[in-house]
Amino acid sequence: MSNRFVEQGLRAPVNLTWEVTLACNLRCRHCLSSSAEPAADELTTREALDLVEQLHQQKVFQINFGGGEPFMRPDFMEILEACHQRGIMTCISTNGTLIDADLVEQLSRNRLVAIQVSLDGAQKTTCEEIRGKGTYAAAIGALKLLARSPIPTSINTVLTTQNADEIPALSTLAEELGVTLRISRFRPSGRGADNWEELRPNASQLLAFSDWLGRNENIRTGDSFFSLTSQERQGLGLNLCGACKLTCCVDPCGKVYPCAFLQSEFFTAGDLRQQSFQQIWEDAEIFASFRGLRIHSCEDCKRFDQCHGGCPAVAYHLKNDISEGDPECLERCVTSIADSTSVAV
Amino acid sequence: MAAAGYMLHPACRVRQEGFGLLFYDSRGPRLLFAETGSLLDAAFIENLHQIKALPDNLTTQQKNSVDKFLGQLLERGFLREQ
Repeated sequence: MSNRFVEQGLRAPVNLTWEVTLACNLRCRHCLSSSAEPAADELTTREALDLVEQLHQQKVFQINFGGGEPFMRPDFMEILEACHQRGIMTCISTNGTLIDADLVEQLSRNRLVAIQVSLDGAQKTTCEEIRGKGTYAAAIGALKLLARSPIPTSINTVLTTQNADEIPALSTLAEELGVTLRISRFRPSGRGADNWEELRPNASQLLAFSDWLGRNENIRTGDSFFSLTSQERQGLGLNLCGACKLTCCVDPCGKVYPCAFLQSEFFTAGDLRQQSFQQIWEDAEIFASFRGLRIHSCEDCKRFDQCHGGCPAVAYHLKNDISEGDPECLERCVTSIADSTSVAV
Repeated sequence: MAAAGYMLHPACRVRQEGFGLLFYDSRGPRLLFAETGSLLDAAFIENLHQIKALPDNLTTQQKNSVDKFLGQLLERGFLREQ
């Protein structure tokens, strides 16, 4: 990963997260966007298709669709098709409840889509404690259908204190189903902020997970754990936050943000109803400030070159300052455990 | 010429950046930053399967560099044989 090229600014994001709707038929306790009902002024079909064309013109390589539940949006397949017609690769993050054989057959018609099905535990009880009743069977059903198709499919698990011990079992489950496993970091935004203290993995769990990741190179993390990356995984992904440099987030109403975990007025880069995507990417002040962000308080850390201060979103939510270091980085986990051991002694 | 018989892998994309070419491989995903300057444009790589010879405006040394670069792209999986 060449930070030099990234930091001098790319002409467009490599990929972006597009939360196409806030509508969701589940009420997951860690949901980053507090999804439930659709927002009142979500982009119309016409506006959504116009955005696809803009992203195509800018040569954005991939769109990661999330929400909400993307399949709750009635015109979602039309938006998806518009991406594929233009050669844009797509990845859909879904809870799996609306996936049936017909939908899998439709999605299988092109080779530009990948799907992540959310599953938050290898055990039904663990998963349903976070995602709600019936979600385990629905996700497994969707995964089985998808595994029989040519669509690259993964289980997506958000690491929490409840499921941290089940990660190896989830890896085995993924293997048995014929899909891959992707682990995402839990961050304190949306309903995740309300339930942060109850769901957050503790320092010991994060360290154990980092160690396990180092021994399991086939596990994908969407680079959300670069602040925990062990030496063994160096070179497999990012070593810095990609927000505003490689990626950004579009919300259901066309507002653009640095990332999905920083969707607030303060972090608004622009509004697609008033500006083009290109104008926002090139001119937004908040994007410029992220591109120039240096976490000076971490510069003396021996791991600075491996994480560059970690995730600014977590620092913001927990310390109200994006220029603070990531409170859950590998080094702080080690220090935290060492401190608690000293106190115990 | 190394280009003959090769094409951009279907899982990969390429675009022009200020430093040269940026490659994206969705299978990783992974990125490749190629500091090619203005030696090659993205359209050349995207249309590699139709190209029979390197551009005439390139010097012999530049043609050798391009050949070597294409060989590296093939080795890393960004290109594949047709």
